[in-house]
Amino acid sequence: MENLLYRDARNYVPIDVTKGIDHLTGQIVMADKEAPNGYEVMPKCKNCKNFKDDGELMGICESSMSNPKFFAYPDMVAVTCEMYSNKL
Amino acid sequence: MSKKLKEVLANAGISMDLQSGGAAPEKMVDREVKREPHPRIKKLKDIFMDTLSSANNEFTYWYTREYMMHDCEIPVVRRAMALKSAFSHSTPAIYPGELLVMHKASYFRGSFPMPWLSEGFYMAHEDEFYKEALKRGSASVDEHSKFGQGGGNVTKSFGKVISIAGKFGMRQEEIPALLKLAKMWYGKSVDDLGNKYEKMVPEYKTKEQIMRSIICMFDSGFTLPQGREIINYYYPLEYGFDGIIKIAKELKDKVAGKADGDGMVGMNRLYNYEAIILVIEGMQKWINNYAKEAHRLEKITQDEKQKEEYKSIAERLEWIEHNPPRTFIEAFQMIETLHIGVLNEDAISGMSPGRIGLVLYPYFEQDIEAGRLTEDEAIELLEQDRIVKTSIDCFASTGVVGGVLSGNTFNTVSVGGLDREGQSAVNRLEYLILEASANNAMPQSTIALLYDEKLPEDFLMLAMEVIKCGTGYPAFMNTVIAQEFLMKQYCKEGMNLEDVRSWAIGGCLETSPSVWELLHLNGKEYWIPGGAGQPTSVGVHFLSMPKVLELVLFNGIDPRTKEKVYEPHNSKLETYEELWKQFKLYWQITCQVLTWTNNIQHDVWRKNNMAILNSLMKPDCLDKGHLINELGYRYNGTFSIESAGTITMVNSLAALKKIVYDDKSETLDTIKDAILDNFGFKDASEVNSFSLADQERKNNDAGKWEKLHFEVLQAPKYGNDDKFADNILLEWEEFFCEDATHYESLYGLNMYPCQISVSTHGAMGSATLATADGRLSGTTFADASMSAFPGTDRNGPYALLNSASIWDHAQSQNSQLNIKIHPTAIRGIEGSKKLLALTRAYMRKGGFHIQYNIVDSKVLAAAQKNPENYRDLMVRVAGFTQYWVEIGKAVQDELIARTEYEGV
Repeated sequence: MENLLYRDARNYVPIDVTKGIDHLTGQIVMADKEAPNGYEVMPKCKNCKNFKDDGELMGICESSMSNPKFFAYPDMVAVTCEMYSNKL
Repeated sequence: MSKKLKEVLANAGISMDLQSGGAAPEKMVDREVKREPHPRIKKLKDIFMDTLSSANNEFTYWYTREYMMHDCEIPVVRRAMALKSAFSHSTPAIYPGELLVMHKASYFRGSFPMPWLSEGFYMAHEDEFYKEALKRGSASVDEHSKFGQGGGNVTKSFGKVISIAGKFGMRQEEIPALLKLAKMWYGKSVDDLGNKYEKMVPEYKTKEQIMRSIICMFDSGFTLPQGREIINYYYPLEYGFDGIIKIAKELKDKVAGKADGDGMVGMNRLYNYEAIILVIEGMQKWINNYAKEAHRLEKITQDEKQKEEYKSIAERLEWIEHNPPRTFIEAFQMIETLHIGVLNEDAISGMSPGRIGLVLYPYFEQDIEAGRLTEDEAIELLEQDRIVKTSIDCFASTGVVGGVLSGNTFNTVSVGGLDREGQSAVNRLEYLILEASANNAMPQSTIALLYDEKLPEDFLMLAMEVIKCGTGYPAFMNTVIAQEFLMKQYCKEGMNLEDVRSWAIGGCLETSPSVWELLHLNGKEYWIPGGAGQPTSVGVHFLSMPKVLELVLFNGIDPRTKEKVYEPHNSKLETYEELWKQFKLYWQITCQVLTWTNNIQHDVWRKNNMAILNSLMKPDCLDKGHLINELGYRYNGTFSIESAGTITMVNSLAALKKIVYDDKSETLDTIKDAILDNFGFKDASEVNSFSLADQERKNNDAGKWEKLHFEVLQAPKYGNDDKFADNILLEWEEFFCEDATHYESLYGLNMYPCQISVSTHGAMGSATLATADGRLSGTTFADASMSAFPGTDRNGPYALLNSASIWDHAQSQNSQLNIKIHPTAIRGIEGSKKLLALTRAYMRKGGFHIQYNIVDSKVLAAAQKNPENYRDLMVRVAGFTQYWVEIGKAVQDELIARTEYEGV
């Protein structure tokens, strides 16, 4: 598994598209920098069992009630998604 | 090198000296008053100052996903379901040190697109965005984490960040989803549907030409369908969210299946109450998600003080999720949540909190009495509120956000004014609002001081102190004038004198109707004001008067585009009266066709995209069961005709009247030729400066127009207490204020005049040829509606006030006058008194609005040269304050060039 980036870490809160705050240290960190080992993974669609990757930053949400199933994209945060099921 | 205009004039013995009433010191002078916020607020402010405007698709995604699932649902319920889903799924973002929490999106300065309003921009740039999104990624983000010119604006793509509309940054990972979401709204958005039907207006082609010529630059129906209004926090404060759901459920039972004598929309009440319940449930879930996040952070945080604060935040949120607030901080959090919630419901600029000093006073008074709160703690919260409000971005197109708004969202707070009984409404909390606005000088909330002779002197002097910080606020608005306007416009909808007194400023300076409501807190009653009117951002907005005059001179053809805009009048314009008559005819054609097409856009909006959250908070929607789209608001006659470029047109007419028609020293054809040849100068875009003095002669110019140009520049100008020019303004105002009332909004109510320019004097100036007053092609118009053209007001500030007050300001929703004053001119207490005397004089003369830029022009020039050294420099433009680095160059140039008063 690739090393976790801050922007994929649960305790990172984005300030903007480039940087955020590491809640565990209180420090401002860059979004695309690697987080220290052991950091918890942020629930995102790409980490969900219900996400079917379609390539080119797109996919399908298998738990969608729509017909056909509604799309999803791997980078979307799923902290509030009641259908989220961690695959990691 | 080509000569600049100021050099040409200097050679002829004419100075473009832009200082009036003395000479500024040679050395650059800083502002006299400087203050600092509390340390906690300073830390948060430091974060803001280094934050980029950022957008993601989260709200957009969940809204669209839910909306598309309910094809055949009743429109209002379908929209409510979509909003509920979007609020429920918004990721909470809480930052260390915050006392008031919740953000628009999961960024410090976040926003998101609303393709259900307009998706065309993303579709048009699809290829470009896709290429950027899929190819980018090699550059290091670190290299670009510092700002260049533009403050928080993401003006260019970099690293893994894509610039959208030159303002917002979006991660490349989000771009394919943005484009897919945009496509889903193709043919369904307010923009697309509105356009489909507005084309059925027989005069539609004229509308298209008007927009293409930039006579108008704003389709209000799908760009910013709401705003420039006062929010109303009363119902949630009085009943809480559970209480509102209970009321809605009871009323739903009462109206189900019943028309109650209203065969048109009586039945809709059932669906509207259902929609209200759904949206409130979405709000509750959103708050609850934040509460959960605060608890989570409480658990992982080591710092004991911060841990305790997270716990308090969670408990506050859990309380207001269901109940009316009990304390000042709970009430503050509640109104903050509601404010952001409403701004997430629609693309809105100018959702003003209104008179929060009165709204929050009950909680402040009781907390102070009980020892639960100190004034210092209240100030700290008020300081943080300024960061919250300044962080609000509105995600809209480049033309709107940049060209019109300069990135501002106009969350204006009003202070002063009268209470329900007609006495001064100033209370202790309002002093603290002013103190906090000086301590934490940020563009939002811009402050409007509702001036009345009854306001306490020390309050007014404190306001002067704040102005001297260089904040550009508080602006002074005249209560007497506003009240007269409101009575005239809203008496037919039942407005009485008591409710007139509850008014406040919505947006930058729109006089907006409000009402008093009785709040109960611990057995005590308080009358609090809140908005009760529809948006005033709606109607026909920003009509370029100089451009209409240009079309009159050139027989309906736009010389820039070579296209026919209006039917040729074929009049020889042999008299001034003919010229003036033709101007009025073209003006009326413009107003009429844009009224019809805008009515259609707004009608589509109200059918598919109506406000639900904002509506349920405004009297009398909850009581009547009708939302904004069914005239549920107490006051609905809020649509307006909005002018721009007033003074540039007045000066142009004055020059034509004097030179062509009175003195007959030149023919109209000669002046037209000179205009087409730009008086021998280059276009401003070529020079890359938009102020008149910096314009350069064409390289091959032999001075053919030199004499004529001198002549028109020397013709009478507005702002000098010269009746020749001022009477033209008077004649215009008398025509405009009456004419505007002849157009009818989609709600069947008459419109009224509105006179603010925001930033359009820059964008519209760039599309307008030279004007007969000597202004050159592409340069800005005069700022606002009553500000003098830079360098033309040479008889001192009181002469300018006399010119501005020649007409009855109560006939219009507003007017705007901005003056630039050197800091040394108002130094010390005596200086403050002089500034107050000047302000008071204008109010007593019947002026509606005045505000000042207290700044040394040399500072502005230095800031333009080295913006990185002036990230926190703020300036007043038209009716708002903005960071210097976040406004466009055209407006910057006009500000530098504006006359600087060295004495008052």
